[in-house]
Amino acid sequence: MKGFDVITALKELISENVIIVSSNGNISREVFNLLPQPQVYLRGSMGLPVPIGLGLALANPDKQILVITGDGNFLMGFNSSVTTAFYKPKNLKILILDNNKYFTTGGQETVSSALDFGSFLNSLNIGYSESKQAKKEKVKNNLIEFLKSKSFSILHLQIDSGKLQLENIPWQPKEITQRIVERLTK
Amino acid sequence: MIEPKDFISVLEEKFQFITGVPCSYFKEMLIYLSEQEDKISLKHVLATREDEAVGIASGVVFSGKRALVYMQNSGFANIGDALTSLTELYKLPMLFLISYRGLESDRGFPEHSIMGEVTEPILKAYNIPYLVLTKENWKEDMTKAIEMMEEKSSAIAVLIKNGVLSK
Repeated sequence: MKGFDVITALKELISENVIIVSSNGNISREVFNLLPQPQVYLRGSMGLPVPIGLGLALANPDKQILVITGDGNFLMGFNSSVTTAFYKPKNLKILILDNNKYFTTGGQETVSSALDFGSFLNSLNIGYSESKQAKKEKVKNNLIEFLKSKSFSILHLQIDSGKLQLENIPWQPKEITQRIVERLTK
Repeated sequence: MIEPKDFISVLEEKFQFITGVPCSYFKEMLIYLSEQEDKISLKHVLATREDEAVGIASGVVFSGKRALVYMQNSGFANIGDALTSLTELYKLPMLFLISYRGLESDRGFPEHSIMGEVTEPILKAYNIPYLVLTKENWKEDMTKAIEMMEEKSSAIAVLIKNGVLSK
């Protein structure tokens, strides 16, 4: 399965109450084009989607925050997996789509294959953590289990590389801010 | 030294969250935050790096709330991309409390010297408005910084010298 297949599968599973933080590059474009709007579409700040998700989770205890990030981005902000595990916000979920590549910039290799994600996530002692190969017949159930968890959760999915031809996000970043602030303060 | 109690009570009027990486210049304020955790409305979030703290604060601001980020000026050197591709790009109002290390009182700490010399030029290069907090008029300084933050919808830096928020 490819990253956009997993993101497409989320469409029927996420409620109105879910706010997504999408990491810069292909993931933000896919989330913008394939899922309900508006969400927190990041265009830069590589390595920061997890702490941005933490801030949103702490400031909005009644919302569910879902961070969708790639392996390169997650590794750049690797420290934040420890910070979030320290706080364990019940309303924060992190989905790592791992193709072992910086795919947006042309498919250069990352170092993610050196990490045994299952053991690492287990060592954080959070309520739910899984590391799986994304498989067509199983991914929906994996996502349902992940999303219904009542604790801080991290799901690591090993995916294949591939992208859709999608338009760039047409909203200016300050417009993204205005729309998300409006969504969270109404 | 500005009493931590007085300083925090002014911050509480505007901000819901504070996060950052410590400096000894903030020691008394951080002790107060930790000891009074249950009594003050300002929620303190620990961070491992300054850019992570800016990320946490950005999540708060995306929620329509306000956050402060404290850091050493050495750590300000870690947040360049967070400034240019997050806070300034997305127009996120935020206040930075930055310790101004590397001045006369830090002569015995050469690790701060170079950053001390370039702190203000770097702030100018990133177009981050800043002021230096004074012991005498700190309330007015903070009011001015907060007004600027809202008016510009931007990060504003408050530089804090030795002895202003610490003994």
